[in-house]
Amino acid sequence: MSQLADFIHQKRQQKPILSMTHVVYGYPSVEESLSWMERLMQEGVDFIEVQFPFSDPVADGPSIVAACHKALEQKLDVETCLSQLGKLAKNFPDSRIVLMSYLNPMYRFGLDKLAKRAAEENILGLILPDLPIEQAATYQAACKANGIDPVWLVTPATPKDRLAMLAGQASGFLYCVARSGVTGHSVHEGKSKVNVLDDYLAEIKTHASAPMGVGFGLRHREQIEQLTGKADIAILGSALLDAYNNGGQDQGIKLIKDLFH
Amino acid sequence: MQSENGFYGQYGGSYIPEILYSSQQQILHAFEEAKNDPEFLAELNKQWQQFSGRPTPLTFCANLTEHFGGAQIYLKREDLNHSGAHKMNNVIGQGLLVKRMGKKRVIAETGAGQHGIATALVAARLGLECTIYMGAKDIERQYPNVFWMKQLGATVVPVTTGAQTLRDALDEALRDWSSSHEESHYLIGTSCGCAPFPEMVAYFQSVIGNEVREQSVAQFGQFPDRLYACVGGGSNACGLFLPFLDDKDVEMVGVEAGGKGLELGEHSIRLSHNLGQPGIAQGFATMFLQDDAGQLQETHSIAAGLDYVGVSPIIAHLAEIGRIKMTYAMDDDVIAACTLLLKKEGIIPALESSHALAGAFKDAPNLPKDSKIVINLSGRGDKDIFNVAKAVQDETFPQFLTDYLASYPTNHADHKEQNA
Repeated sequence: MSQLADFIHQKRQQKPILSMTHVVYGYPSVEESLSWMERLMQEGVDFIEVQFPFSDPVADGPSIVAACHKALEQKLDVETCLSQLGKLAKNFPDSRIVLMSYLNPMYRFGLDKLAKRAAEENILGLILPDLPIEQAATYQAACKANGIDPVWLVTPATPKDRLAMLAGQASGFLYCVARSGVTGHSVHEGKSKVNVLDDYLAEIKTHASAPMGVGFGLRHREQIEQLTGKADIAILGSALLDAYNNGGQDQGIKLIKDLFH
Repeated sequence: MQSENGFYGQYGGSYIPEILYSSQQQILHAFEEAKNDPEFLAELNKQWQQFSGRPTPLTFCANLTEHFGGAQIYLKREDLNHSGAHKMNNVIGQGLLVKRMGKKRVIAETGAGQHGIATALVAARLGLECTIYMGAKDIERQYPNVFWMKQLGATVVPVTTGAQTLRDALDEALRDWSSSHEESHYLIGTSCGCAPFPEMVAYFQSVIGNEVREQSVAQFGQFPDRLYACVGGGSNACGLFLPFLDDKDVEMVGVEAGGKGLELGEHSIRLSHNLGQPGIAQGFATMFLQDDAGQLQETHSIAAGLDYVGVSPIIAHLAEIGRIKMTYAMDDDVIAACTLLLKKEGIIPALESSHALAGAFKDAPNLPKDSKIVINLSGRGDKDIFNVAKAVQDETFPQFLTDYLASYPTNHADHKEQNA
C-alpha cells in the first residue's frame, strides 16, 4: 500500500477530516515561508502542500499568482527547496509535506531525479496540475520506483469514463477539484452548487479506493463541515494565503482554527 | 501538417489543467469533423473571399529586384486582408467553428492587438460575445488597437500580473477558459497552445501557401525557389511553408526577432544559436526562452507581434529536422528593410513582416538572377505609425501629438471607461 494513503488512513482513525494547508515556497522570502510551514505543523495541520513557484501558473488565481511572482524575484532552486523541506519535516512526524509545482521547472530539474529526491526527503506526494496522465508514463514509473505517489486531479468537468480511469489509477490520494476555474477568489470562478458537489464526490467514491482530498474555493466552515464524511482531506490554499497577507501567521492560524476546530 | 496525437517530433502535445480536458476534446472533434465537411469548407472559403478579400495577390517587386541584382523578389500580400494582416484567416475559421459548436462567447489573448482586433471583428460579425486579454503594458503601447476593439464591442481586460505582456495575457486567457469552458471558446491567435490549436491554426493559415502554389505557377511557371516568413508564434510561417513541405526543392527561411542584442531579455530568438531550450508551458511543449531553473523569461522586439517566449511546435520541429532554416533580424535592420520597401515599392509593411524582408534582403544579392523568392508580407504597417515615426526620428510627429492633445476635448472623462 501507498505510504501516503497509509498515513491518511491512520490519521483518519482520530479525525473526521484532515487539513492540508498550502504554502508558496519562497513567499515572501525563503526563510519566512519555512517559518510559516513550521508554525503550521506546530499547530497540528496534517499536511502542507508546498508550491514551488513557476512564472506561468495557469491553474492558479490572483492570490497565488502574485505570491509566486513575488517569490521569483529571488532565484529559487528545486534541490535546495527539497533539502529544506526534508529537514523541516523531520521534526514533525505527525504531519506530511507534499510538493506541488508546474511541469516546466520540474521537467528542467528532471522528473526521475525529482521522484528520487522527494522520496529521500520523505515528501510522499507530488502534484503537477499541467501534466496529463496520458503523458505521464515515465513519471508514474519513477514515483513507483521510489515509493511515492503522483497525485492526480479530477474536476466536475471530467467526463465519467475518464473520472473512473483517473480514480482507478489514483494512489496516495485523489485531488478532487470542487469547481471550475482557478484557485481562490477571482473573476474566473466557476459556479458550484452544493448538491452537485455532493453528487460529484459520491460518484468519485464509487471508483476511488485511494483517499480523497477536496480543494479550490474552500474558505468557510460550512464548506468543511459539508465535506466531512464525504472526503478525507480539505485543502486550504488561497483563503489561507489571503488571511496570511492580511494579518500574517496569526491571522492564518486563526482561519485554520475557525475552519477545523 | 498532420500531428501524431498532437505531437510534432518532441514538440506539441496537450499539457493543460484537467478542468479543460473536455473542452479540448470537444475542439479536437469539432475541428476533425469540420475540415472534412464540404459545407463548412464552402462557408469558410466564402467568408475568406467576401469578408477578408481573398485571394491576396502575389506582387512582383521589379525595383527591389533591380536594387539587389540577385533573386527575383515577390511578396505574398497578406497585408491586403481585411484587418490588415494574415490573422484574419484564422479568426474566420475558428469563428465559424465556434458557431458550429454552439458556443456564444470567445476569449482571446493579444500582444500588439492585431489578433485582438481580428477576433473582435469576427465576433461582431458572427454575433459572439468577445473578451480580449491584453497585458497592461501592451495596452499602454498599443492603445489605438485597444480603442478599436472596444468600439467593436469587445471587452478588453488589462492583465497586470507578471511582466504585463503577451505571455501574461495568454495565462489569463487560459484561466478565464478554465472557468467559462462550457459556453466559451478560447480563440488562440497563433499556432501554439495545446493540441489541436497548432494544427488547426496552421490549417486555416495554409490558405496562404496554397494560393502561392497556384499563383507562382501562373505568374512565373514554377514553384518559388525560396520562401521567407517572420516567426513570432509562427502562424504566418506555417501558413506559407506547410503547403510546400513535400516540395523538397523549395527552401524555407524563418526570421526571428533579434531585438536589441543576444542577451536574454533583449530578443525573441528561440530557435537559433541555442538561445531557447525545450520546455513545457502554456499548454504545450516547444522551445522557450527560459532560465536554467525553467522559469520563462522576458523577451523584446521592436515588433510587438514577434515578442513571444515560445514558438509553434510545428516550426520548432521543422527547424530541428532542418527543413526550415532559421535566422534572425535585429531591430535596426528591420527599420532599414521597412524603409526600403516604402521607398522602392510603395508598400507599407508591418514591423513583424519587415523581419522577413530583412532576412530576405540579406540573401537576395547572393542568389542567382533567375531564382524566385517569395516573402510573406504578413501585415500592413499603418499600426506601427508611432514606432516607425520614432525610429526614423520624424521631426514633425511630436508637434503633431502636442497639437492634437491640446485640441482634444477632456470634459467627457466619465465616458472613457465605459467599455473598459
